[in-house]
Amino acid sequence: MTMAMSTSTSTSTSTIVTSTLTTLAETTTAMAPLTLTSTPLTTPSGTEIDALTMLYPPLVVFAAALLVLVLPRIVGFAVGALSLASVVAVALFAPDGVLLSGTFLAFEVQPFFLDDFSRLVALGLGFLGTFAVIYAYSSDASRVMTAFALAYVSSAIGAAFAGDWLTLVFMWELMAITSTLLVWHYGGDAVRAGYRYAIAHGIGGSLVLFAVTAHYAVEGTFLYGEPASISTGAGGIPLLLAVLGIGVNVAFVGFHTWIPDTYPRPHFAASVFLAAFTTKTSALILYRAVPEGGNTYLAYMGGLMAVYGVCFALLQHDMRALLSYHIQAQLGYMVAGIGIGTTIGVAGAMGHLFNNILYKSLLFMAVGIIIYRTGENDLYKLGGLWREMPITAIAFAIGALSITAVPGFSGFVSKGMVLDAASGYFGGPEHRALYWLLFIGAIGTFLSFIKLGYYAFLHGPADYEVKDAKSGQTVAMLSVGGACLVLGLPAIGWPVFTDLLPLIDGSGFAGPEGPETLDPYSTGHLMDAAILLAVSVVGFKIIRKPLSKLDLPDPAFALNPATFYVGRGSMLAVTETYRAVDAAAVGFVRRCYWVGNNPTIAVDRAARRLPDRFVRVEERHPANGGHPSRIHLRASIGLTILLVTVLLTIVVWLLV
Amino acid sequence: MSDALSEAIPVLLVAAPILAATLPLVFGLRFDRAGWLFTTLTTSSLFVATVVLATVVYSEGTVIHQLGGYPRAYGIELVADRLSTTIALLVTGTSAGVLAYTRLGGPRGNTFYSGYLLLVGGLLGLTFTGDVFNMFVFLEITGLATYALIASGDGPESAVAGLKYLIVGTVGASLYLLGVGLLFMATGTLNMIELAEAIPQAQGGYENTLVRAAFAFVFVGFAIKVAQWPVHAWQPDAYQHAPDGVTPLVAALVSTVSAYALARVMYTVFTVDFLTQTPYAREIVITVGAVSVVAGSTLAVIQRDVKRMLAYSSVSQFGLVVAAYGLVTETALVGAVIHLVGHGIMKAGLFIAAGVIALGYGARTVDEYAGLAARRPVVAGGMAVLLIALIGIPPSVGFVGKWYIALGAVQAEVWSVAAVIFLSTMLTLAYSARLLEKMYFTPANWLEDPHAPDADVVATDGGSGPGLTRQSDRARPDAVSIGMLSIVVVAAVLAVALGFSGDLFYDWLEPFVSEVFN
Repeated sequence: MTMAMSTSTSTSTSTIVTSTLTTLAETTTAMAPLTLTSTPLTTPSGTEIDALTMLYPPLVVFAAALLVLVLPRIVGFAVGALSLASVVAVALFAPDGVLLSGTFLAFEVQPFFLDDFSRLVALGLGFLGTFAVIYAYSSDASRVMTAFALAYVSSAIGAAFAGDWLTLVFMWELMAITSTLLVWHYGGDAVRAGYRYAIAHGIGGSLVLFAVTAHYAVEGTFLYGEPASISTGAGGIPLLLAVLGIGVNVAFVGFHTWIPDTYPRPHFAASVFLAAFTTKTSALILYRAVPEGGNTYLAYMGGLMAVYGVCFALLQHDMRALLSYHIQAQLGYMVAGIGIGTTIGVAGAMGHLFNNILYKSLLFMAVGIIIYRTGENDLYKLGGLWREMPITAIAFAIGALSITAVPGFSGFVSKGMVLDAASGYFGGPEHRALYWLLFIGAIGTFLSFIKLGYYAFLHGPADYEVKDAKSGQTVAMLSVGGACLVLGLPAIGWPVFTDLLPLIDGSGFAGPEGPETLDPYSTGHLMDAAILLAVSVVGFKIIRKPLSKLDLPDPAFALNPATFYVGRGSMLAVTETYRAVDAAAVGFVRRCYWVGNNPTIAVDRAARRLPDRFVRVEERHPANGGHPSRIHLRASIGLTILLVTVLLTIVVWLLV
Repeated sequence: MSDALSEAIPVLLVAAPILAATLPLVFGLRFDRAGWLFTTLTTSSLFVATVVLATVVYSEGTVIHQLGGYPRAYGIELVADRLSTTIALLVTGTSAGVLAYTRLGGPRGNTFYSGYLLLVGGLLGLTFTGDVFNMFVFLEITGLATYALIASGDGPESAVAGLKYLIVGTVGASLYLLGVGLLFMATGTLNMIELAEAIPQAQGGYENTLVRAAFAFVFVGFAIKVAQWPVHAWQPDAYQHAPDGVTPLVAALVSTVSAYALARVMYTVFTVDFLTQTPYAREIVITVGAVSVVAGSTLAVIQRDVKRMLAYSSVSQFGLVVAAYGLVTETALVGAVIHLVGHGIMKAGLFIAAGVIALGYGARTVDEYAGLAARRPVVAGGMAVLLIALIGIPPSVGFVGKWYIALGAVQAEVWSVAAVIFLSTMLTLAYSARLLEKMYFTPANWLEDPHAPDADVVATDGGSGPGLTRQSDRARPDAVSIGMLSIVVVAAVLAVALGFSGDLFYDWLEPFVSEVFN
């Protein structure tokens, strides 16, 4: 009987539980935190384009990242490369506007937003990513590492496509996490560097988060530029926080140590990914935060970054560290362009961003093959490799000529635009000092790539007998290098490139003094390039010997121990304060409780501490087995009347 | 309802209990138990009449009766506005409710019930009077009836406590009378409404020395009556040593109505302008109140006798009310009135519960309450709910009052009062938690032990139990009636239910308060 009853009870209970769960599930569905709607677009281009916009590219790439883990290696990598190729298609053919919008936690979000800026960046990232996956395939990259890399790429593309700050912060943090995993996956030295990398991005991400929150508090929306950007809207401290937070990612001087610290350490194929995605996406976000430009501080920070970067690049003899410092230097040109904020400046910055994705990764690929074949990172231990690996040497040469802005290569066009913006070539404000900073940066770039090329490929006979690049690596390098070359060709190549740029239509654009036409191959520009080249070649002859003996550490690396000790100190301070407060509170409550339960003993002890003049405490001898006896606090009638008189006197004295 | 009839209700409310006070004595000559019956009939009808009066006040506004038809200038007025009607409801309701305990719990005898009715009459007179001298008269009637009731306890301590209250309370009333005399010298009138107009027109207006001195005397006089630290000394003795049936009435009503009278004099006679324009006036009121809150709660924490602990708790709760008066904001005044009513209900319930426990369980000290919940679940539960309400945990009337007072303190930007409210809540929690812990979580093992160590404590704690008896000997479980338990439960339910009526209270008092503040 009892059994039956208990069974029926449990049955009914489980029924209730089930129905509760069902209700809960329905409620959850109804209150789903993320609701997204694809905006139907009526473009004449047809159904293929509609199909392109149906899928959210970062999700496609992320799905590919998961597939890489489970599919056979070659199929998985192919899927990864194709997913990134689809990003290129989206960037080229999808229409402008908000392609995906919705609400997340009751906030309006636009995770898929296309304009000329995100289109250009996504094009670069997708194109490079496709070949980076091919490169990774033939570079013996493991499937797990490639999965991390693809997840990282997907979050970077998500950040580029973001149309609001909330999505951006989400993607931004995801990018930090996935890239840290990518670094960690290599193990060894990379682990500790990965920690420092994670801390740097954690701080930067927090700053951005603060800024975005403050921006929301002022504007009431997370959407970009509605009604104002961070610089015109919230301004002040939020703007400073945003710029500093993004500054960590775009390697402001002093905030840059994570690049040369981290990028030389993981697998050389991972470096190719790392070099392209975080910093370039962040430069786009910097533009989103300060689209108006005209920020002289920011522009000069760019100039300083260019000079600082090349100086320390020149001093490096680890090949990837040298390239890492060049990331900072190249970002300097982008920051300068965004900071100047004129049409030519912003367009130049974006163009340089695009080119940088290509040639910087190309350089990392080439250097990666040297490391792959020789196992050597140190430049001074290499030499004469052009005989051993001519394809790699050619790829390196294309990358180097692009980054040094030699006429005929894409870097020449975009770097020229930034320099024009600084010199006020097309009207607008003139920043003479900035121009010279960027010019010095250009010389330094020449010098360091002459150094890299000289020591790796030319200097002396080869100590190694090694094979050249594998076929996949060759395909990747020559494709990316081909793009660098084609987009910079005189007369036919560069207008294709400039047409891709935002704010520029074909080669014409609206300058401050009326319509202007770009002319990168004007005599002046060519003269400048020739001067640069001449100065650099002569300069390298002079400084080569002293340079090889010089070993100057980057003073900014002092930040690493400083961050550690400050972090440890503040952590200890917080926990110790918390512990002290906790102990004090618990002790106080416990003491109060004890006093409440033992009032007589408490009063007795308190009285003993007072001088005998005030309170004379007699030894108590409780007669009832130690139980405290009573306290006599009763005021007599007379004392009460006295107190009444005293109180009345005080009140009358105060009032009358 | 005709105007004449509704105007007559305040007079009836004051005169009826005083006249009825003679009945127990007269009929007592023939019938032993006539007193309880007459008192119950009288107080219940008074309650009904007050409810009727409240509906009239609600629908038609303030009811004013001029005694004997003499005009305001030299006659006496009885005024039933929203504030006085609220207090009258508390007085009549509580006095009717406490009778549920006294029927079997005692004290017995017809003289007691005469005093009881006299006290009710005095309190209602104090509530309705619109004349400051008349207020003194009712203060004395109330006082004398209270002295008699307190002294009606069995032991010698009751007599001493009664004497102490007699002397100290009379000093308080005398100070009030001196203040009234000074006011009369300054203005030549005794009617409250006329005084409010006459005081600003006195020579020097609010700076008139007589007026200011009058305020000082009146305030200190009431500070004694309301039992503010350090002139509270009569109150713990009186509450502790009064018979268990008297304490609920005295604790719930006497100081409450005095506190109401203080508000009436401060806000209707002296007016908000006087309080805000006189230097130190607000500060004095706030300081006395705030100090009482802290001192009262601290003293309550260290008490071992439950009734005495609750008495000190009253010092602290009235301190909160007085401090709220000193804030001079609408919200704080509403909060003070709510807290007066709420405290009256909660303390009546708590003292009845303490009486029931003493009667049926023989427990009087905190230690003796050990294991109570298991043996007397109903009364322990009622007491627990009332204690929790007293702390001010929502939903309870204690929370509503404290909330409005705290809100008023924040509005007036008097952060010290806000801090004191927080502190008092903590201290209230401390002494309530002691009792709750004893009742619910401490087993009562020693009860079975004939050589219990605490037996001595009982002997030396000075409780009103007769001499050297053990707690278990004092317990008379069969003496506890259903009526006693139900009135505790009713008080507990009311304390919680009124916790949902904060807005109702506010809307009800709002017309009065906004009139005072304009």
